[in-house]
Amino acid sequence: MTSLMTPGLEVRSLHAGYPGRPVVKDVDLTVPAGRVAAIVGPNGCGKSTLLRAVARLHRPGSGTVHVDGDDVWRLSRRQAAHRIALLPQSPRAPEAVTVAGLVRYGRHPHQGLLRQWSREDEDAVREALEATGTAELAGERLDRLSGGQRQRCWLAMVLAQRTPVVLLDEPTSALDLGHVVDVLELVREVAAAGRTVVMVQHDLAAAARYADTVAAMKDGRVIATGAPRDTVDEALVKELYSVEADILRAPGDGSPVVVPRARPPVTEPGAEL
Amino acid sequence: MTDVTPPDSTPLRTGTLSWLFPRRSALAAAFLVPLVAVLVVVAVTASSTGMSLEQTVSGLLRAGDPGSIMIVWDLRLPRVFAGLMVGAALGVSGCLTQTLAGNRLATPDLVGVNEGATAAVVASAAGSATGMVGDWWLGPLGAVAAAVLVVLCAGGAGVAGHRLLVVGIGVSTFVGAVSDLVMSRQNDNTAGGVFLWAVGSLNGRDWSVGGPLLIALLFLLPLSLAAGHRLQLLRFDDDMAASLGVDLRRVRAAALALAVALAGVAVGVGGPIAFVALAAPILAQRLAGPTRVPVTGSALTGAALVTAADALGRVVAPVELPVGVVTSVLGGPFLLWVLFRSHRTTEKA
Repeated sequence: MTSLMTPGLEVRSLHAGYPGRPVVKDVDLTVPAGRVAAIVGPNGCGKSTLLRAVARLHRPGSGTVHVDGDDVWRLSRRQAAHRIALLPQSPRAPEAVTVAGLVRYGRHPHQGLLRQWSREDEDAVREALEATGTAELAGERLDRLSGGQRQRCWLAMVLAQRTPVVLLDEPTSALDLGHVVDVLELVREVAAAGRTVVMVQHDLAAAARYADTVAAMKDGRVIATGAPRDTVDEALVKELYSVEADILRAPGDGSPVVVPRARPPVTEPGAEL
Repeated sequence: MTDVTPPDSTPLRTGTLSWLFPRRSALAAAFLVPLVAVLVVVAVTASSTGMSLEQTVSGLLRAGDPGSIMIVWDLRLPRVFAGLMVGAALGVSGCLTQTLAGNRLATPDLVGVNEGATAAVVASAAGSATGMVGDWWLGPLGAVAAAVLVVLCAGGAGVAGHRLLVVGIGVSTFVGAVSDLVMSRQNDNTAGGVFLWAVGSLNGRDWSVGGPLLIALLFLLPLSLAAGHRLQLLRFDDDMAASLGVDLRRVRAAALALAVALAGVAVGVGGPIAFVALAAPILAQRLAGPTRVPVTGSALTGAALVTAADALGRVVAPVELPVGVVTSVLGGPFLLWVLFRSHRTTEKA
């Protein structure tokens, strides 16, 4: 491979799962630095397990995960935390924590007994707060904020970790449209700053619009991968979700928009009221 | 520019090294250390037999009559010393279990430490011809054995706090019932000795206890302090902590081992002195602020509470009250206050 593009994250023939129940089967995925990849697929297709295996939360049966050339499963947990940051789906926050307090926890992997609060820690926290537009909330308590604001604070914490790879597990699942756009724009900015972002996305339309690469998973395998406009089509939607859909092109960038066809109403004999 | 420095702290930096000076915790310590010192003086002079202050001072200076010298040097000082150590150990142990369980009411006795120590002491008293409570190390041994049993039944030390506590209650009840059964077959003499132990008393703790206690604390307290930074991550869930580079199962196991060792030593020596492990960390947290795990503060507060309660027990009634009775009498209302307060703050929020 010509290294014009640094491979930020490289997953090679990864198998993961539980005894007698393989969940992720032979997955290959390469995401260059500065790009956003979205993993999509129906519930239970193995996309969360894949993300957990990449994040070192679930030990894979076989296969490797490399970040900038290092095999993350051969690193210590702390060293791995210097390379990969994860925002879980609904993380639990410490009781009564402030926004700045939460974001400071992102520096934990860089701290120790003799390195408790370096200038770099301070810069990283400030930068993360500013990048996510949460600087003016720094002194507020996290539990008093709205869902959208809270998600931006969590993102700030993950960014403060200053890792080349950022993993997001359904970062927009509980948000309204305005905040979905907010968060995904932010994700694009993070990638533009040179980081590799991999997110599990439920919403195919959002994935198609904001990701550079879509990896579609079904039954533990990646069945299609590539740029959204080349990958997301009627056949894929049918295969993934067993839904007939039309694919429209968004005005502007031409990214695919999935419009499910209404199923014909099922008429059962004797069902009329 | 946004100030992002941790609150109540001042960063000190040189080269690549950086240290956070905890202003508020330091202030709390500056208040607690003199308080403990004053309480020690009070405890050394507090007399259950009406010994005068002059007699105490001359005894302390080894200048008075042999009786006073003996009372001060062989009875009071070792007892006050043991009280300090026991209090500090209980305080830190409570701090660890409360952080571990994420619950301010979680104390080390919930993992069976008290009942285990009591069972060992009961067994030693029942087994001896004189009905005397046996060697000091029996209590710690029983406490640690019971905690290990609880951990094994719960499925490992890394499991989440609540599961450990539920199993702990079950095992404690069973071990306690066995102790009671053994006790019911003993004579009054044995029962009296064991009873005095089982309410928590420092009476008659001499230097032979102080030395091992000090060694145990010199070993366990620095480890607890070093764990403090990682303990903060117990406030997250396992996944988040793992992606911040910390294996919570390991942190939990280490914190639990430290808590059991500290409480085991304390309970083994002083008996199950109630409420110190509950109250000391809560008070210390109020002094040190919510952002830190108050290990040092809990040690100092625990030491202050036990020393004060022991001194009070010696002067307040015509017959000496065991320290455990004093802490229970004062601790009941304290517990109600904590519950009432947390209830009110939840309503406000």
